[in-house]
Amino acid sequence: MKSKIANRQSSIVDLPSWLDPSPWLGKKFSARDVEQALGAESPNEDTLAALLSPAAADFLEPMAARAQALTRRHFGRTVQLYVPLYLSSYCPGGCAYCGFASDRDTERHKLSFEQVETELAALKKMGLEEILLLTGERTPQADFEYVLKCVELAAKHFHKVTIEVFPMSGKEYGQLAEAGCTGVTLYQETYHPDVYPEMHRWGPKSNMLERIKAPGRALAGGLRMAGLGTLLGLSDPLFDLIALYRHVRHLQKTRWQAGLSVSFPRIQNEAGGFLAPHPVSEKQLAQIVFAFRICLSDVPLVLSTRESAAFRDGMAGLGCNKMSVASKTTVGGYGDEGSEEGQFDVNDNRGVDEFCAMLRARELEPVFKNWDEVYR
Amino acid sequence: MKLETGNLKLGSHEFGSRLILGTGKFSNTETMIRAIEASGTELVTVALRRFNREKPDDDLCAPLAKLKNVTLMPNTSGAMNAKEAVRAAQLGRELSGSPFVKVEIHPNPHHLMPDAIETYIAAKELAADGFIVLPYIPADPVLAKKLEDVGCAAVMPLGAAIGSGGGLSTADMIQLIIRDSNIPVIVDAGLRAPSEAARAMEMGCDACLVNSAIAAATDPAAMAKAFALGVETGFAARNAGLMPKSEVAVASSPLTSFLG
Amino acid sequence: MNLMVNGESLEHNGDGSVGVLLAELGAAPDHSALTVNGDLVFSKNWKTHTLNDGDTVEVLTFVGGG
Repeated sequence: MKSKIANRQSSIVDLPSWLDPSPWLGKKFSARDVEQALGAESPNEDTLAALLSPAAADFLEPMAARAQALTRRHFGRTVQLYVPLYLSSYCPGGCAYCGFASDRDTERHKLSFEQVETELAALKKMGLEEILLLTGERTPQADFEYVLKCVELAAKHFHKVTIEVFPMSGKEYGQLAEAGCTGVTLYQETYHPDVYPEMHRWGPKSNMLERIKAPGRALAGGLRMAGLGTLLGLSDPLFDLIALYRHVRHLQKTRWQAGLSVSFPRIQNEAGGFLAPHPVSEKQLAQIVFAFRICLSDVPLVLSTRESAAFRDGMAGLGCNKMSVASKTTVGGYGDEGSEEGQFDVNDNRGVDEFCAMLRARELEPVFKNWDEVYR
Repeated sequence: MKLETGNLKLGSHEFGSRLILGTGKFSNTETMIRAIEASGTELVTVALRRFNREKPDDDLCAPLAKLKNVTLMPNTSGAMNAKEAVRAAQLGRELSGSPFVKVEIHPNPHHLMPDAIETYIAAKELAADGFIVLPYIPADPVLAKKLEDVGCAAVMPLGAAIGSGGGLSTADMIQLIIRDSNIPVIVDAGLRAPSEAARAMEMGCDACLVNSAIAAATDPAAMAKAFALGVETGFAARNAGLMPKSEVAVASSPLTSFLG
Repeated sequence: MNLMVNGESLEHNGDGSVGVLLAELGAAPDHSALTVNGDLVFSKNWKTHTLNDGDTVEVLTFVGGG
């Protein structure tokens, strides 16, 4: 059963009913509603909507305290660390907000396998154990075979290899799993059926429903983990965040063996000058992370180096239990000099040692490796 | 947790009552029938035993057949493994004409704890054979999902050992089962008082199965009615939206001062 | 014929039909399930089933259970 968004002219896409957030939009929440949501034992969409509401903005301190208590309960006093490696900036896509969109006048780069090895060695030397490999949308210069080979190379050195590339078939996901890939990160960017086509103007990524289905397909195909997220700033945050929550809950129920995580990428400046139509402030982002920790108490929540050092320092352990560190969003850049332009500006430029020292000063233990995958 | 109002849906069947009754341990058949009637239940479990020509009163079929609107669910108790349970289920279906089966395999006759492995094997085979399978299990969230995957119509995690009156000792585990289940979750075994049944329903269970607490009560028919009320009350309370417990911790020094 | 019925030896003087055996035991056909030599005999097949000397028969019915 599909449902249409209220007050909308005809849309190209109907969100499946398990995803559609519209029943929870347009509600008004009072301070009392927020207090009740704070103590909810079995959180649901109403709990999340209350905690995301304007009324909850006055409750950041108790939300933070509850988020911290839940984070400690499920994850202890630890923060997991990972690093992204951009393999290629070739992209046929038309994402309005991305520095690598095909209509941008940016030099394209791609790491040869030799260069990949150099980057991997440099990252390994930094002490990192979990690596996220990135490319743009599927393109002949960085196609499935290329990604597969890079995964194979990375899996030789890193205990956990995940990818943030293009949606692919179940069979392809299965092959990546065989090659040593643990998981996939795939942000829906926005779940809003009107905004999505505006932002994803051409190329394979313009197919909204395919992208929504992809994480489930990856898990069915043999990958063990999926990271979801919405690009904050593109669309009405409440719409996207409730849909994101429902997406996670759906996968928890239908792919019950999967490890899921949620990220909160926030549109930052990039060279093309795209301005977010619905900007989200740092305070709002904090509220969002606390709300998600309360409603998804045992799901890892991730903040990247898009966010400032001060913000990441404050949020570590307050709901957020996983972070990227020492990141470069240029193609390569760790071993050799990377490409000139990155996908977005990095705001926390600290190296691994400095970042870990900060965590330890806050009585948080940096975790590089959870467990070895030797049994697979 | 999705709010399920309305009827209890098991397979293709719907039941107005969310209290399921067991028929064992009653002092006599007449008492049992009165308890069933007082409870308003629409689904009762029965066991299979050899017909005993010396004790024709043990035969429940005739009295049960007279009850209106009550579906029989044979259980496989007495079976020590999956193979025996499957046979028991087939015999039960033959006798009852109903597709329902409660898969109940307890090899140890003292504590009567269910055998998770044999239950899974039996449930898988029976679901494939068209039975509406309700497996009685330890309160194990992983086992519950595996049983859902092989086609069970519900899962029935125990609250405590059969007849122990231990209440909802497995409440935390049952919460985890409820959170991610796509099929009804029915607490079976261990409930001693209607208040516990109410608590199970408030927690999000879809139904309760009660036997010992009613059969061993001083007035079983009255207790059956009390349990029915308890289940209804808990269900109504959950749908009404319980006020949460206050769990607002306040840190000694502010955590959010970095936000300005 | 000599049958083992529900664990006990029974000297049965019937025509080999299920109906006659059940009648001798006082078991209502509607309320009985039957296995012969370990195999379930469905009630729809009782009319054609023949019991033989030496058969092991189980006649089952519902009793109270949780």
